Amino acid sequence: MRQHDETGNTPLADETLERAVGELRRPLRVNAALFDARVMDEVLRAPSGVREHVERLLRPRTIRVSPLLALAAGMLFAVSVAGSILYVLPGRAPRGEGTSAERSVVARDAAGSPIVQFGFVAPHASSVALVGDFNNWDPKATPLHAASTGGVWSVEVPILPGRHLYAFVVDGTVWRPDPAAPQATGEDFGEPNSALTVADPGMR
Amino acid sequence: MTRRVLSLLSLALALGAPTALRAQDARLDARLDARTRDAVVAVVDSARGAGIPSEPLVQKALEGASKHADGARILTAVRMLARELGDARSALGPTSSDAEVIAGASALHAGIAPAALSKMRASRAHGSLTVALAVLADLVARGVPGDTATTVISALTVAGAQDTELLRFQQGVEREIAQGATPAAALGVRAQGAFPTSPPRRTP
Repeated sequence: MRQHDETGNTPLADETLERAVGELRRPLRVNAALFDARVMDEVLRAPSGVREHVERLLRPRTIRVSPLLALAAGMLFAVSVAGSILYVLPGRAPRGEGTSAERSVVARDAAGSPIVQFGFVAPHASSVALVGDFNNWDPKATPLHAASTGGVWSVEVPILPGRHLYAFVVDGTVWRPDPAAPQATGEDFGEPNSALTVADPGMR
Repeated sequence: MTRRVLSLLSLALALGAPTALRAQDARLDARLDARTRDAVVAVVDSARGAGIPSEPLVQKALEGASKHADGARILTAVRMLARELGDARSALGPTSSDAEVIAGASALHAGIAPAALSKMRASRAHGSLTVALAVLADLVARGVPGDTATTVISALTVAGAQDTELLRFQQGVEREIAQGATPAAALGVRAQGAFPTSPPRRTP
């Protein structure tokens, strides 16, 4: 059992965090001349076999590559860069069943409540529904609509500001949390929920 | 004149209160067996009498019903949530909004100490704490140690971070975790970004 102070924090953990942040923030000072000299000194002191390898790597040379091989290497590089970009963009993770759900405030309704867009990828599903504490957990209340291709299902729902719990129901029986959202703690009756926090536009 | 106003107010309350109760009963009637419904309604009425938000209790019961949980489990979950909501109300103070109390209850469930909630309330007496508490709950649910998460979110709140900034901070931590950082390290990295000139200090 950890001892908490009046704020509920452990003082040791706070000091450790602050020290860690301080260390991370300290600028790295490198004297370029000294650094080069130290590296060259290490190279000269290295066993001759290692030194030969280093010298061989540093020696300029001409490499002959067939045009076909160069083209293949270029294409491989382009594909890997494009793949990385797609992977890190929000909502652009590699798609399969239950991945790439998106939640974003897309507009506001007449009363000013944020309208949140929910998305879920289920290429083989015949229906997907949104359930949560904003629709009485009723699987019939908020069906998602399938896009024409890609197995992407989506719906836009006005949600009051605050913290909400929700999940998706696939084919009327299978409960799935949103893989793109934090998983909620608490009694979930064996079917995990996702948490959604909607900021109040009128509040700081 | 005053007597007439009071009479009208009494009439409005007499007509309005049962309407609200009937509306809740109708939702619970349709989804719970009579015994469970009566027990849940008793908890809901008791919560309402104590000034605790009752809608989350109704939603918890409806969630359990949709997930086909048995009556005893539903009742246990509703009672536990009522207790957490009551603790959150006590920790945050009687003037806290229902949304703050609901987010506070989720933070308590995640393991945050009630004293930490009171401290956060004191640090932001007039602004909403809903998003700060929700972010705190979600970070701890993600595996970030509760004491360090409390320190950082409290510091951000004291520094005047807006709700959208807190949500962005949470998304940043989740992204770091998704890329392989431990939850504690992810919080440290993002905390450094959030405090570019000086480390977060615990408020006295």
